Amino acid sequence: MAAQETMWHDFIDAHKVADGYLLATIITPDPPASDPARLYNFQRWTNPYSVQTDLRYKLQYNPEMRLDKKEASTWLEIFSDYYKFVGVLLAAEEANNVGKAKEADWNAVYEGWKDVVSALHRGYSSGTLEAWTIPCLYVAGKYLRIFAIKADESTATQRDSGLVFGGIQEEDALVTVGQNDKLEDAARQINRIFALCLNDRSPLEESRKWALYSTANLLFKTYFRLNSINLCKTVLRSLKAGAADMPPLSAFPRAHQVTFKYYSGVVAFLDEDYATAEQFLESAYAMCLRSAAVNVRLILTYLIPTKMLTSHRLPTQALLKQSPQLERLFTPICFAIRSTDLQAFDQAMEAGEDEFVKRRIYLTLERGRDVILRNLFRRVFIAGGFEPAKEGEAGSQVVRRTRVPVKEFAAALMISGAGVGDGEGGVDGDEVECLVANSIYKNFMKGYIARERGIVVLSKGGAFPGTGV
Amino acid sequence: MSGAAQGTNNSLSKHKDATTQDSKDTPQAPQKAVAQLEEDDEFEDFPVEDWAKEDEVGQQAGNTHLWEESWDDDDTSDDFAVQLKEQMKSVEGKR
Repeated sequence: MAAQETMWHDFIDAHKVADGYLLATIITPDPPASDPARLYNFQRWTNPYSVQTDLRYKLQYNPEMRLDKKEASTWLEIFSDYYKFVGVLLAAEEANNVGKAKEADWNAVYEGWKDVVSALHRGYSSGTLEAWTIPCLYVAGKYLRIFAIKADESTATQRDSGLVFGGIQEEDALVTVGQNDKLEDAARQINRIFALCLNDRSPLEESRKWALYSTANLLFKTYFRLNSINLCKTVLRSLKAGAADMPPLSAFPRAHQVTFKYYSGVVAFLDEDYATAEQFLESAYAMCLRSAAVNVRLILTYLIPTKMLTSHRLPTQALLKQSPQLERLFTPICFAIRSTDLQAFDQAMEAGEDEFVKRRIYLTLERGRDVILRNLFRRVFIAGGFEPAKEGEAGSQVVRRTRVPVKEFAAALMISGAGVGDGEGGVDGDEVECLVANSIYKNFMKGYIARERGIVVLSKGGAFPGTGV
Repeated sequence: MSGAAQGTNNSLSKHKDATTQDSKDTPQAPQKAVAQLEEDDEFEDFPVEDWAKEDEVGQQAGNTHLWEESWDDDDTSDDFAVQLKEQMKSVEGKR
């Protein structure tokens, strides 16, 4: 019985100094490292018949515990649900540990945790639990998502092995429906927590609004997994609408800020709003904890294609070298762009296709082709040299040759492997003109095609905007 | 095109001792096997809620030169001019 006391000590200490993070460790499904047997001890501390009485003695009639009546009854509810939950969780973990993973009932674990979360929710909506306790909400949402994923996975394995539905294997009818039942439910529960924080009207210093970004981040994570990325925009809109009555993002812990910026950036990226994406991702990168290698890599996975599009700049070797995955992902593409090699670019896109598609960066990387064309046409322009100096104008500035035969562009495209051949060893002139016209249309190159003379007339002042010529 | 032909050569000339072709810069076969992704490649919870400014990526020493222009320096343009002329000649020649 004594082993169980540390939990109550922590509970009392947390209330004494209003330490929400310490409080949250008490209802966490993961026992703290300092007290690894906490859940077992809590379960053995009482039994289902006397749990109510035992808790009442701890919370209401305990001279050390200075909770008012409402608080005590709120925690009584939370801890009775938590007690039931611990029983189910330990049973599931035990089944797992003795090799009977199939018998572990993760659906019951999810439902049990959901009851704990509901009790917490009631504590907040009734105004009983104060804002300093909000780390409990972080824990609530975090594990809703974790247990929901476990529950859905175990349902899927049972279904595959025919334990559910009497072994009927009607794949189309059953497998696609309800694959993420619990996770979808978890999203709804987390959304309730989000609303609970958003609608708090207390003054900012004691507001649940401090849990807003952390809860929004959980929603993003969940929606991404559910492939319902559009729902993220609803969350972003709510935050924007309430921004005037919220603390500024910069006042939140860095973990909340960086995660929020990452997801906002990726949502903008997928929406093809690359300017916004760049802003968020760049700021997330700069502020990210340097030892968090996976997160740094994920930020860069989207920042690199974004930069390629917005400013046509490529990552340096030094940047890619930070992670073998990044190196593998982007080196071939960057090499192809730098050497204006369209054929190598196509090969790199094909080789990386699966991974690019999976990370949803394929379509953005595809537009690297425009950058190659721009660079290739720029090389033609530079190779053309300068106009002969006009007589009598000695000392005036030398001017690049701005009338470039289409044929030269055609030759450059052939060198680069653009596939503009006409199949008979010659060049398909229409195809070449089309690529040139496209480049002009997209503002990579300034000028026009004089078709009847077979030349491209380039602008005398900055034919290739932003590249120094 | 030449690249495609080269690719075929690579796959055919497996007997290294007997190859007559010069294959000094054979393109590496795409490493599909390594490209396997972990299923849950998602943004991780940070181990701490907050950290000091000097622990930020942006404050790292040597983390300044991250991006560069995609176009090359102009001193390679002479080579390209020569390449361009040759390519144009070869197209003209086939006409």
